[in-house]
Amino acid sequence: MPPVFPMLTVLSMFYYMCLRRRARTATRGEMNSRRAIESNTRALPINVEIVQYAKEVLDFSSHYGSENSMSYTMWNLAGIPNVYPSSGDFTQTAVFRTYGTWWDHCPSARLPFKRTPATFCSQDYVELAFEEPVYPTAVHILETYHPGAVVRILACSANPYSQNPPAEVRWEVLWSEAPTKVNGPQARQFTPSIKQINFPTNLIRLEVNSSLLDYYTELDAVVLHGVKERPVLSLKASMIDMNDIDEDEDEEKYGCGMDALNKQFSIVALREWPSNGYFDKLPYELIQLILSHLTVPDLCRLAQTCKLLYQHCCDPLQYIHLSLQPYWARINDTSLEHLQSRCTLIQWLNLSWTGNRGAISVSGFSRFLKVCGSELVRLELSCGHFLNETCLEVITEMCPNLQELNLSSCDKIPPQAFNHIAKVGSLKRLVLYRTKVEQTALLSILNFCSELQHLSLGSCVMIEDYDLIASMMGAKCKKLRSLDLWRCKNITENGIAELASGCQLLEELDLGWCPTLQSSTGCFTNLARKLPNLQKLFLTANRSVCDTDIEELAANCTHLRQLDILGTRMVSPASLRKLLESCKDLSLLDVSFCSQIDNRVVLELNANFPNVFIKKSFTQ
Amino acid sequence: MCYGDDACFVARHRTADVLGVADGVGGWRDYGVDPSQFSGTLMRTCERLVKEGRFVPSNPVGILTAGYCELLQNKVPLLGSSTACIVVLDRTSHRLHTANLGDSGFLVVRGGEVVHRSDEQQHYFNTPFQLSIAPPEAEGVVLSDSPDAADSTSFDVQLGDIILTATDGLFDNMPDYMILQELKKLKNSNYESIQQTARSIAEQAHELAYDPTYMSPFAQFACDNGLNVRGGKPDDITVLLSIVAEYTD
Repeated sequence: MPPVFPMLTVLSMFYYMCLRRRARTATRGEMNSRRAIESNTRALPINVEIVQYAKEVLDFSSHYGSENSMSYTMWNLAGIPNVYPSSGDFTQTAVFRTYGTWWDHCPSARLPFKRTPATFCSQDYVELAFEEPVYPTAVHILETYHPGAVVRILACSANPYSQNPPAEVRWEVLWSEAPTKVNGPQARQFTPSIKQINFPTNLIRLEVNSSLLDYYTELDAVVLHGVKERPVLSLKASMIDMNDIDEDEDEEKYGCGMDALNKQFSIVALREWPSNGYFDKLPYELIQLILSHLTVPDLCRLAQTCKLLYQHCCDPLQYIHLSLQPYWARINDTSLEHLQSRCTLIQWLNLSWTGNRGAISVSGFSRFLKVCGSELVRLELSCGHFLNETCLEVITEMCPNLQELNLSSCDKIPPQAFNHIAKVGSLKRLVLYRTKVEQTALLSILNFCSELQHLSLGSCVMIEDYDLIASMMGAKCKKLRSLDLWRCKNITENGIAELASGCQLLEELDLGWCPTLQSSTGCFTNLARKLPNLQKLFLTANRSVCDTDIEELAANCTHLRQLDILGTRMVSPASLRKLLESCKDLSLLDVSFCSQIDNRVVLELNANFPNVFIKKSFTQ
Repeated sequence: MCYGDDACFVARHRTADVLGVADGVGGWRDYGVDPSQFSGTLMRTCERLVKEGRFVPSNPVGILTAGYCELLQNKVPLLGSSTACIVVLDRTSHRLHTANLGDSGFLVVRGGEVVHRSDEQQHYFNTPFQLSIAPPEAEGVVLSDSPDAADSTSFDVQLGDIILTATDGLFDNMPDYMILQELKKLKNSNYESIQQTARSIAEQAHELAYDPTYMSPFAQFACDNGLNVRGGKPDDITVLLSIVAEYTD
């Protein structure tokens, strides 16, 4: 007897804590079945583990490849691996559009929103559907080039293949960690230890941050291990993790569903306290300054402490810049409603990644903008799949002071809806990457938005004649500083000539994967001579770039910082040396797949010009 | 002399079985380009397109077009050219859809007779239609046909039909009657017999290719065009032999 007692005590203590934790989220029926745990002997049900590759890629924020292609596109993440365990830069992998911090250090870089919680550092995402919903037991990510970008894995309670729309869409974080530097580009299988969740899922989302990586990360496949039946609590988890329990306290109060965040937003007025201590002595502006460092949920929690802080936390001055992107999983119409009264003076609003799967409705969004749009200067709506023509109409009507509009990957906006943007004459920055903007609408925008400084038309496949677009830009958008024409399929030397003559302030030009530009027409020479302020020039995969072009850049564009000439056979080490000697500010030079520039040359250039990151990708 | 510039693939997706052959144009070797890179990458890309279902069975030209476009999406600067022949069997409609660009091709044999065959596409003697990617300085000078230029046909097939897809290494060395003779020896449709017959056809063509006195179809054609030659034509030989049979999983 005596030896058994301490054992039973420890065990029952453990079960008590776990039961308490379960009780918060379990239903009564489940509680009853859990009584079986309390006896020391129980039979574990045989729970067969199912292993699945992704069936389909449902959504993603960006990719390197072309919209109709299977080379370097996100769709490669579905199905079995094509490359793993080999390492290298292969077409059959999923590649995001950017890497490192290079895009943060060029003229088109945007100022970050403050008050981003430390736990949110995601830059891109991809959502995968699997055939069978399971309770996940493991997730393997097969990375085949420059691994280490994945920072969060989430699971969704909604089944993308079910006929009925889900009653509640809930996202749970399976794993999350700050980006860490992984040495080397070698392939690896990444298996983070994931949390157990209490709903079956067949919709997994990966979020990535490539800022520490030396080159593009490439993913080959995602494997989901799970069980069909809800797993019985296993004795393996015998360490009582205090952190875990703290988190549960939070979960109890604030939950992981949308209701909890909305509860925070819907702050209720409190009774007055007789004195607020030192807070009564501090000037209003100082308290405002202190509060400006709190994340928005914390601000809402603080508001519930006393009437004085409630007043401060609900002051619209705290909501001049508001980023809801870190909370994308929990933002819905109700959230916007609660925030409305506080956002009347809002100038910067980030709703990127929010609102999908029915969370935000057109009317909810419109209502919010009607109340809060008048002072709006910057609006980020990247991957806003709920946006339609009405939304664009509302934006352009309710936000007369709008200067920055980001509609990156908003692929559900119909082509003609973009016409509305022409009404916003004050626009300085417009991002239309991967949208369906069509020719007439874009011409209209360029005609009326003469203040444009930054324009992204990357992968805009519905534009028929880029030369015409360039011509209009050259005529009307004289203030253009950065222009992204990535994968603009039919721009020729004529368009380049118009651009170079008209937009003399250009500092950044991305002409990557534009196959119709031929060096022999002199277009690159023309660019170099007419645009001496160029800091960033991407000529990725233009096979005709040659020594003459490099020499002209060396002679004329001495402020060059970033140059990408991937994939040309016609550039020799000698002209590169001239370039490096002349352009002292050069920090990025991508010579991947340039036949004349082998590893030996790269080493030599690295030795002589140590401040330049010279990239040479490989496939073997 | 072994060239190794031919490539081929066999793939299936749902209701379709797809075969492809491609003959890399050897002339690139003189310019330091490995001719097998283009044909090999083209076939592997078409195979991936099929396996991932990014095609329509009744549109094999679409497979060629998409495959060729994907080659242009490769970071690696591919160079070279090749012919291509794609054959798609749609199991639900019992129809064969084909696309042929150049001088590779196919035969359909029923009851010991050729009932369908592809036509050779030549610009001039020994210069077949070809898909190509040229270096920028040579564009306009190098022959480059569009995938749309491929001949396409569609017709019904029956159980027992033999479909032979091959590069010109076969057709230039072995006339139809010899091929038919070999096919007559095919007794049943199990894998081993078909493999055996395909092998014997290829080997026979290979022997004939090095026979200096033999009046090969290639030599015959040359003579018809005023060139006095005899003998076989040493070349890569690729033979894909298939039979329309009952579907088993």
